[in-house]
Amino acid sequence: MREITFAEALGEAILEEMEKDPAIFTYGEDIARQGGIFGAYKSLLGKFPDRIFDTPISEEVIYGSALGAALVGMRPVVEFHFADFLFTGIQSITLQIEKIRYMTGGQGKLHLLLRGPDGISNSAAAQHSECIETIFMHVPGIKVVIPSTPYDVKGLIKKALQEDDPVICFEHKMLYRMRGPVPEEDYTIPLGIAEVKREGNDVTVVTVSRMVHESLKAAEELKKEGISAEIIDLRTLVPWDRKTVIESVKKTNHLIVAHETWKRAGWGAEIASVVQEEAFDYLDAPIIRVGAKNVPMPFAANLQDFVTPNYKDVITAIKQSLR
Amino acid sequence: MYEIKMPKFGLTMESGFIEKWFKKEGDMVKEGDPLLEVSSEKITNEVASPVSGILLKIIFQEQEEIKVGTVIALIGEEGEKIKEYQVKEEPEKSVGESEKEEISSIKITSPDTDRERRIKASPLARKIAQEKKLDLSGIKGTGPDGRIEKCDILNFLSFASKEEEFDVEKLSGLRRTIMERLSKSFHEAITLTNVTEVDFTELKKISKEQKVSITSGLIFILARVLKELNKFNAHFDTEKKEYILFKNINIGIAADTDKGLIVPVIREADKLKLKTINEQLKELVNKSRSGAISERDIKDSTFTITNLGMMRTDFFTPILNPPEVAILGVGRILKKPYIREDDKIAIREMAYLSLSYDHRVIDGADAARFLDKMAQYIEIPDLE
Repeated sequence: MREITFAEALGEAILEEMEKDPAIFTYGEDIARQGGIFGAYKSLLGKFPDRIFDTPISEEVIYGSALGAALVGMRPVVEFHFADFLFTGIQSITLQIEKIRYMTGGQGKLHLLLRGPDGISNSAAAQHSECIETIFMHVPGIKVVIPSTPYDVKGLIKKALQEDDPVICFEHKMLYRMRGPVPEEDYTIPLGIAEVKREGNDVTVVTVSRMVHESLKAAEELKKEGISAEIIDLRTLVPWDRKTVIESVKKTNHLIVAHETWKRAGWGAEIASVVQEEAFDYLDAPIIRVGAKNVPMPFAANLQDFVTPNYKDVITAIKQSLR
Repeated sequence: MYEIKMPKFGLTMESGFIEKWFKKEGDMVKEGDPLLEVSSEKITNEVASPVSGILLKIIFQEQEEIKVGTVIALIGEEGEKIKEYQVKEEPEKSVGESEKEEISSIKITSPDTDRERRIKASPLARKIAQEKKLDLSGIKGTGPDGRIEKCDILNFLSFASKEEEFDVEKLSGLRRTIMERLSKSFHEAITLTNVTEVDFTELKKISKEQKVSITSGLIFILARVLKELNKFNAHFDTEKKEYILFKNINIGIAADTDKGLIVPVIREADKLKLKTINEQLKELVNKSRSGAISERDIKDSTFTITNLGMMRTDFFTPILNPPEVAILGVGRILKKPYIREDDKIAIREMAYLSLSYDHRVIDGADAARFLDKMAQYIEIPDLE
């Protein structure tokens, strides 16, 4: 199978759906002329000039206008530039986009996709490094997609562009240039179906995005010590695939939840809670969460490394669980 | 209301005997107070109260044997009603029910009672324990802070199932006789053992020349010594306090067989030639090993000799073959440096003789004389 980058797979997904559906248009900061600050839209440069365009720096206007367009039957795809900036237009999302389907009694569909980069990069510091997917998992009314591979981002974005509900997709900055196999045929990935990236018997690691790769690395290291870790990539957080997770926990009896976002009240706590509610009798050790330290991201590279979880933290957590 | 149950001290414990209650009904008890004393076949233990409260009811009294897991007392708050406890006053009947039923009667540990007993166990461990009807209090946890985990339960189960694989053999008639006689001997007689090292070089030479076993030579010599020291050729009847001295010298020879120890007897050994002793001994040992030995062949012994010399035992302290008053043990014959009268060192074939005797009728000096005579006749043998 051909291999393309995460960014190319994302661009293909949008382009293919735009070709099918004339209601789709996409806009945001620095995408049409620059191709996205991390190159997400590089493959879209020069395509559909009237349906791909740049906006001024005004998140409130960007999200609010997307809501209006969606309400009149369009399907806007909005890039949020940095996930951190979602907070500058948050009321359009949490008060309007996430509520309108409910407040109209389901009469209005809301074809709206918010997407953009999140996570750490090279010393982007406190305002450009955040993972805030938990906020959108917490406030009901939007589906949350958080892919880890080129294959998944294409399949999930295409699926999101066929949904009747608003969807938000977080793409980790460090994944855009990652290459991976992507078929040329049309395909979609249903939301709410996790993928077991690696099978194992001793411990289950539930994770998403960049931490999928860290967890796989941890599993490979631990294999040398005879520890068999099962790695589950949830791929979507709303809805999330509790069936796959619980079945795995029933097999391994040990659970680690690993995410790049802060450990305190991060979505890992939700997974841990649900598992102890539904599979308490299968747990042989406390559930352990791996997440960032509870501080704003420092600028210094060594401090960024210190705050951000990586495969070593996953290894430590697994050993703690199995001791 | 808290139920006090007959505890299980070991894996094989089926029932316990209530030795003593330290508290009376109505007494205040504190958690950790000694509540009662229980003995099993193996040990006696104090059982501490797992909770604080009033000892509302003693269901089984002292000196009763109670099946493990049976509720034996109730602890609760003052004035708490205990009517709903229809007490089963049939301890005898309950003992000896099948193991399965017994285990199922043990209350499964619920989180509530565990909190009182502070047993740490993972949810999974608790679930397996519940399914297998195991009492977590008997399982050692190897997790953090001693938490019981799945592997601890599985280890416990595999240990328990290994135990089930044991063969239990009922003692055969022969083994039972050995057991009864030896324990009688051990508990009644006051047994002492004297030991001396003897030079077997000459005896070994003769036995080789005449093609007889060393044991045959020893029996021949022993018969002569017994004739001279008649007080060893005797029985002692503990009950009647009678010391019976025999004229006939019937020597029992401890023989190792598949079925265990058999002691065939050579009758009137003092009247037999060495060759005859050798033939009779061979025949008796063969019969013992093939199982063809008759009742007559193994009774009426007046003294017993036991020879472990062909195996790797240098000396040992034999136990009397009751009602006999002494037994002679023979150790391995080994070449050793031996200091002669002229202070020269020679290589000699040495072995230990150990004489165990019942000190109630035989004195240490008698035993010394016996060994001295044996040694003389072995060192300068005359087997004609």
